[in-house]
Amino acid sequence: MAGGGGGGESGEPEFQIAPMIDVLLVLLIFFMSITSAEVLKVDKNIVLPVSPNAKKRDPEMTKHEIAVNVRWDVKQGKAFVNVDDREYPDLALLVPYFQEKKQKDPKVRAVIRGDKSLPAIDIQRVMNAVGEGGIADISFAASNK
Amino acid sequence: MKGRHKRKPHAEVNLGFQIAPMIDVVFVIMLYFMVMAGAVQVENAHNTKLPGTVQVESSDTPMPDEIAIRIEDDGQVYLNDDPLDTPENKNLPELAVNLNQLRESSEASKSEVLVTIYANEQAKYERVVDVLDALSRAKITNVTFQAGAPE
Repeated sequence: MAGGGGGGESGEPEFQIAPMIDVLLVLLIFFMSITSAEVLKVDKNIVLPVSPNAKKRDPEMTKHEIAVNVRWDVKQGKAFVNVDDREYPDLALLVPYFQEKKQKDPKVRAVIRGDKSLPAIDIQRVMNAVGEGGIADISFAASNK
Repeated sequence: MKGRHKRKPHAEVNLGFQIAPMIDVVFVIMLYFMVMAGAVQVENAHNTKLPGTVQVESSDTPMPDEIAIRIEDDGQVYLNDDPLDTPENKNLPELAVNLNQLRESSEASKSEVLVTIYANEQAKYERVVDVLDALSRAKITNVTFQAGAPE
Protein backbone atom coordinates (compact mmCIF):
# COMPACT_ATOMS: atom_id res chain seq x y z
CA MET A 1 0.00 0.00 0.00
CA ALA A 2 3.02 2.22 0.06
CA GLY A 3 2.69 5.30 -2.07
CA GLY A 4 -1.09 5.17 -2.19
CA GLY A 5 -3.04 8.40 -1.92
CA GLY A 6 -0.31 10.51 -3.42
CA GLY A 7 1.88 12.66 -1.31
CA GLY A 8 4.66 15.08 -1.20
CA GLU A 9 8.30 14.30 -1.16
CA SER A 10 8.20 13.88 2.55
CA GLY A 11 5.83 10.92 2.10
CA GLU A 12 3.03 12.66 3.96
CA PRO A 13 -0.37 12.37 2.23
CA GLU A 14 -1.45 15.64 0.71
CA PHE A 15 -4.96 16.92 0.21
CA GLN A 16 -5.64 17.02 -3.54
CA ILE A 17 -7.83 20.01 -4.32
CA ALA A 18 -8.28 19.59 -8.10
CA PRO A 19 -10.06 16.19 -8.11
CA MET A 20 -12.23 17.37 -5.26
CA ILE A 21 -13.39 20.33 -7.35
CA ASP A 22 -14.12 17.98 -10.24
CA VAL A 23 -16.29 15.78 -8.07
CA LEU A 24 -18.04 18.78 -6.52
CA LEU A 25 -18.85 20.26 -9.91
CA VAL A 26 -20.22 16.97 -11.20
CA LEU A 27 -22.44 16.66 -8.12
CA LEU A 28 -23.54 20.26 -8.56
CA ILE A 29 -24.51 19.69 -12.19
CA PHE A 30 -26.37 16.51 -11.23
CA PHE A 31 -28.48 18.22 -8.61
CA MET A 32 -29.06 21.23 -10.85
CA SER A 33 -30.35 19.04 -13.64
CA ILE A 34 -32.80 17.10 -11.49
CA THR A 35 -34.15 20.22 -9.82
CA SER A 36 -34.88 22.07 -13.01
CA ALA A 37 -36.99 19.35 -14.60
CA GLU A 38 -38.31 20.28 -17.98
CA VAL A 39 -41.27 22.54 -17.65
CA LEU A 40 -44.08 22.87 -20.10
CA LYS A 41 -45.91 26.19 -20.33
CA VAL A 42 -47.04 25.95 -16.78
CA ASP A 43 -49.59 28.05 -14.96
CA LYS A 44 -48.40 28.50 -11.39
CA ASN A 45 -51.93 29.21 -10.14
CA ILE A 46 -53.02 25.68 -10.87
CA VAL A 47 -52.88 23.10 -8.11
CA LEU A 48 -52.63 19.80 -9.93
CA PRO A 49 -54.41 16.77 -8.53
CA VAL A 50 -52.13 14.20 -6.95
CA SER A 51 -51.77 10.85 -8.65
CA PRO A 52 -48.77 8.74 -7.60
CA ASN A 53 -49.42 6.05 -10.23
CA ALA A 54 -49.54 8.32 -13.25
CA LYS A 55 -47.01 7.62 -15.94
CA LYS A 56 -43.94 9.71 -16.49
CA ARG A 57 -44.22 11.99 -19.45
CA ASP A 58 -42.63 10.61 -22.58
CA PRO A 59 -39.70 12.92 -23.42
CA GLU A 60 -40.16 12.18 -27.12
CA MET A 61 -43.69 13.54 -27.02
CA THR A 62 -42.69 16.80 -25.35
CA LYS A 63 -42.36 18.68 -28.61
CA HIS A 64 -45.80 17.48 -29.74
CA GLU A 65 -47.56 18.60 -26.59
CA ILE A 66 -49.88 21.56 -26.14
CA ALA A 67 -50.52 22.57 -22.55
CA VAL A 68 -54.15 23.42 -21.90
CA ASN A 69 -54.20 25.15 -18.53
CA VAL A 70 -57.59 25.14 -16.84
CA ARG A 71 -57.61 27.34 -13.76
CA TRP A 72 -60.42 27.47 -11.23
CA ASP A 73 -61.26 30.84 -9.76
CA VAL A 74 -62.84 30.20 -6.36
CA LYS A 75 -64.13 33.77 -5.93
CA GLN A 76 -65.86 33.93 -9.29
CA GLY A 77 -66.69 30.24 -9.33
CA LYS A 78 -65.53 30.07 -12.91
CA ALA A 79 -62.97 28.17 -14.93
CA PHE A 80 -60.39 29.96 -17.07
CA VAL A 81 -58.75 28.22 -19.97
CA ASN A 82 -55.29 29.35 -20.96
CA VAL A 83 -53.45 27.95 -23.96
CA ASP A 84 -50.05 29.28 -25.04
CA ASP A 85 -50.30 32.27 -22.68
CA ARG A 86 -53.67 33.32 -24.08
CA GLU A 87 -56.97 33.22 -22.28
CA TYR A 88 -59.91 31.70 -24.09
CA PRO A 89 -63.18 32.78 -22.44
CA ASP A 90 -65.09 31.15 -25.30
CA LEU A 91 -63.97 27.58 -25.90
CA ALA A 92 -65.29 27.68 -29.45
CA LEU A 93 -62.33 29.92 -30.28
CA LEU A 94 -59.99 27.12 -29.29
CA VAL A 95 -61.31 24.74 -31.93
CA PRO A 96 -59.67 26.44 -34.95
CA TYR A 97 -56.45 26.75 -32.93
CA PHE A 98 -56.40 23.01 -32.26
CA GLN A 99 -57.31 22.25 -35.87
CA GLU A 100 -54.37 24.32 -37.05
CA LYS A 101 -52.04 22.55 -34.61
CA LYS A 102 -53.32 19.17 -35.73
CA GLN A 103 -52.70 20.05 -39.37
CA LYS A 104 -49.16 21.16 -38.67
CA ASP A 105 -48.34 18.18 -36.50
CA PRO A 106 -50.49 15.03 -36.74
CA LYS A 107 -48.89 13.57 -33.62
CA VAL A 108 -49.97 16.47 -31.44
CA ARG A 109 -51.14 15.73 -27.91
CA ALA A 110 -53.21 17.98 -25.67
CA VAL A 111 -52.07 17.96 -22.06
CA ILE A 112 -54.95 19.07 -19.87
CA ARG A 113 -53.59 20.72 -16.76
CA GLY A 114 -56.67 21.13 -14.65
CA ASP A 115 -56.90 22.47 -11.13
CA LYS A 116 -57.95 19.80 -8.67
CA SER A 117 -61.00 21.71 -7.46
CA LEU A 118 -62.49 22.09 -10.93
CA PRO A 119 -65.92 20.60 -11.54
CA ALA A 120 -65.77 17.73 -14.03
CA ILE A 121 -68.06 19.57 -16.44
CA ASP A 122 -65.37 22.17 -17.20
CA ILE A 123 -62.86 19.46 -18.02
CA GLN A 124 -65.47 17.81 -20.23
CA ARG A 125 -66.02 21.09 -22.06
CA VAL A 126 -62.28 21.37 -22.68
CA MET A 127 -62.15 17.74 -23.84
CA ASN A 128 -65.02 18.54 -26.17
CA ALA A 129 -63.11 21.47 -27.68
CA VAL A 130 -60.00 19.31 -28.05
CA GLY A 131 -62.06 16.61 -29.76
CA GLU A 132 -63.73 19.09 -32.08
CA GLY A 133 -60.30 20.36 -32.98
CA GLY A 134 -59.49 16.88 -34.22
CA ILE A 135 -57.01 15.97 -31.50
CA ALA A 136 -57.68 12.48 -30.17
CA ASP A 137 -54.58 12.06 -28.07
CA ILE A 138 -55.06 13.72 -24.69
CA SER A 139 -53.43 13.36 -21.34
CA PHE A 140 -54.28 14.60 -17.89
CA ALA A 141 -51.48 16.16 -15.93
CA ALA A 142 -51.11 15.18 -12.29
CA SER A 143 -48.41 15.78 -9.77
CA ASN A 144 -46.56 12.97 -8.00
CA LYS A 145 -47.01 14.38 -4.50
CA MET B 1 -5.54 60.58 -6.70
CA LYS B 2 -1.82 60.23 -6.99
CA GLY B 3 -1.57 57.85 -4.12
CA ARG B 4 -3.95 55.39 -5.72
CA HIS B 5 -1.47 54.12 -8.22
CA LYS B 6 1.30 53.70 -5.74
CA ARG B 7 2.18 50.10 -5.17
CA LYS B 8 4.81 48.33 -3.31
CA PRO B 9 7.42 46.95 -5.62
CA HIS B 10 6.82 43.42 -4.41
CA ALA B 11 3.13 43.02 -3.89
CA GLU B 12 2.47 40.79 -0.95
CA VAL B 13 -1.20 40.46 -1.85
CA ASN B 14 -1.79 37.30 -3.78
CA LEU B 15 -3.97 38.16 -6.75
CA GLY B 16 -4.01 34.61 -8.08
CA PHE B 17 -7.01 32.36 -8.31
CA GLN B 18 -8.39 31.65 -4.86
CA ILE B 19 -9.51 28.07 -4.66
CA ALA B 20 -10.85 27.98 -1.10
CA PRO B 21 -13.65 30.57 -1.45
CA MET B 22 -14.64 29.01 -4.74
CA ILE B 23 -15.09 25.64 -3.06
CA ASP B 24 -17.14 27.34 -0.35
CA VAL B 25 -19.45 28.88 -2.90
CA VAL B 26 -19.77 25.70 -4.96
CA PHE B 27 -20.53 23.80 -1.79
CA VAL B 28 -23.29 26.19 -0.78
CA ILE B 29 -24.84 26.07 -4.25
CA MET B 30 -24.65 22.29 -4.19
CA LEU B 31 -26.32 22.13 -0.79
CA TYR B 32 -29.09 24.36 -2.08
CA PHE B 33 -29.78 22.11 -5.05
CA MET B 34 -29.55 19.00 -2.88
CA VAL B 35 -32.22 20.35 -0.55
CA MET B 36 -34.39 21.45 -3.46
CA ALA B 37 -34.09 18.04 -5.10
CA GLY B 38 -35.98 16.43 -2.25
CA ALA B 39 -38.95 18.72 -2.66
CA VAL B 40 -39.15 18.60 -6.43
CA GLN B 41 -42.60 17.95 -7.85
CA VAL B 42 -42.70 15.97 -11.03
CA GLU B 43 -45.57 16.39 -13.40
CA ASN B 44 -46.90 13.04 -14.56
CA ALA B 45 -49.68 12.30 -16.97
CA HIS B 46 -52.55 9.89 -17.63
CA ASN B 47 -52.77 9.32 -21.36
CA THR B 48 -56.01 8.45 -23.05
CA LYS B 49 -57.78 8.69 -26.36
CA LEU B 50 -61.00 10.55 -26.91
CA PRO B 51 -64.04 8.38 -27.63
CA GLY B 52 -65.10 7.94 -31.21
CA THR B 53 -61.63 8.56 -32.56
CA VAL B 54 -59.94 5.26 -31.74
CA GLN B 55 -59.72 3.19 -34.87
CA VAL B 56 -60.96 -0.36 -34.73
CA GLU B 57 -58.38 -2.70 -36.23
CA SER B 58 -60.72 -5.37 -37.51
CA SER B 59 -64.34 -6.28 -37.13
CA ASP B 60 -63.75 -9.84 -35.90
CA THR B 61 -62.12 -8.79 -32.64
CA PRO B 62 -64.32 -9.69 -29.69
CA MET B 63 -66.37 -6.91 -28.20
CA PRO B 64 -64.68 -5.48 -25.13
CA ASP B 65 -66.20 -5.96 -21.70
CA GLU B 66 -67.65 -2.61 -20.85
CA ILE B 67 -67.36 -1.31 -17.34
CA ALA B 68 -69.03 1.91 -16.27
CA ILE B 69 -67.63 3.98 -13.43
CA ARG B 70 -69.89 6.74 -12.18
CA ILE B 71 -68.64 9.61 -10.05
CA GLU B 72 -71.27 11.47 -8.05
CA ASP B 73 -71.11 15.10 -6.98
CA ASP B 74 -70.15 14.17 -3.42
CA GLY B 75 -67.26 12.02 -4.66
CA GLN B 76 -68.93 8.62 -4.26
CA VAL B 77 -67.70 6.21 -6.91
CA TYR B 78 -69.97 3.54 -8.41
CA LEU B 79 -68.64 0.59 -10.38
CA ASN B 80 -71.50 -0.71 -12.55
CA ASP B 81 -73.97 0.85 -10.05
CA ASP B 82 -72.29 -0.69 -6.98
CA PRO B 83 -71.02 1.93 -4.55
CA LEU B 84 -67.37 1.36 -3.69
CA ASP B 85 -65.17 3.09 -1.11
CA THR B 86 -66.16 6.20 0.76
CA PRO B 87 -66.07 9.66 -0.82
CA GLU B 88 -63.26 10.58 1.59
CA ASN B 89 -61.03 7.70 0.60
CA LYS B 90 -58.57 9.03 -1.93
CA ASN B 91 -56.85 5.73 -2.70
CA LEU B 92 -60.00 3.88 -3.78
CA PRO B 93 -58.66 0.43 -2.77
CA GLU B 94 -61.94 -1.44 -3.30
CA LEU B 95 -62.30 0.01 -6.79
CA ALA B 96 -58.72 -0.93 -7.70
CA VAL B 97 -59.15 -4.51 -6.41
CA ASN B 98 -62.46 -4.97 -8.25
CA LEU B 99 -61.06 -3.54 -11.46
CA ASN B 100 -58.04 -5.79 -11.20
CA GLN B 101 -60.28 -8.84 -10.84
CA LEU B 102 -62.39 -7.75 -13.80
CA ARG B 103 -59.29 -7.28 -15.92
CA GLU B 104 -57.93 -10.68 -14.96
CA SER B 105 -61.20 -12.43 -15.77
CA SER B 106 -61.37 -10.59 -19.09
CA GLU B 107 -57.83 -11.58 -19.91
CA ALA B 108 -58.75 -15.19 -19.14
CA SER B 109 -61.56 -15.03 -21.66
CA LYS B 110 -59.28 -13.19 -24.12
CA SER B 111 -61.35 -10.06 -24.33
CA GLU B 112 -60.43 -6.52 -23.46
CA VAL B 113 -61.80 -4.28 -20.79
CA LEU B 114 -63.21 -0.92 -21.75
CA VAL B 115 -63.88 1.47 -18.94
CA THR B 116 -66.15 4.44 -19.43
CA ILE B 117 -66.11 7.15 -16.80
CA TYR B 118 -69.35 8.98 -16.23
CA ALA B 119 -68.55 12.00 -14.11
CA ASN B 120 -71.38 14.11 -12.80
CA GLU B 121 -71.24 17.77 -13.75
CA GLN B 122 -70.30 19.02 -10.31
CA ALA B 123 -68.04 16.10 -9.39
CA LYS B 124 -64.53 17.25 -8.56
CA TYR B 125 -61.89 16.81 -11.21
CA GLU B 126 -59.59 15.56 -8.45
CA ARG B 127 -61.93 12.61 -7.99
CA VAL B 128 -61.74 11.84 -11.71
CA VAL B 129 -57.96 11.74 -11.43
CA ASP B 130 -58.29 9.48 -8.35
CA VAL B 131 -60.30 7.07 -10.49
CA LEU B 132 -57.72 7.29 -13.29
CA ASP B 133 -55.06 6.55 -10.69
CA ALA B 134 -56.96 3.45 -9.52
CA LEU B 135 -57.32 2.39 -13.16
CA SER B 136 -53.61 2.66 -13.79
CA ARG B 137 -53.00 0.64 -10.60
CA ALA B 138 -55.31 -2.03 -12.02
CA LYS B 139 -53.30 -1.79 -15.27
CA ILE B 140 -56.31 -0.82 -17.36
CA THR B 141 -55.41 1.49 -20.21
CA ASN B 142 -58.58 1.40 -22.24
CA VAL B 143 -60.45 4.34 -20.74
CA THR B 144 -62.97 6.66 -22.29
CA PHE B 145 -65.14 9.47 -21.00
CA GLN B 146 -68.80 10.09 -21.32
CA ALA B 147 -69.71 13.73 -21.63
CA GLY B 148 -72.36 14.42 -19.03
CA ALA B 149 -73.93 11.96 -16.63
CA PRO B 150 -75.98 9.04 -17.96
CA GLU B 151 -79.68 9.86 -17.94
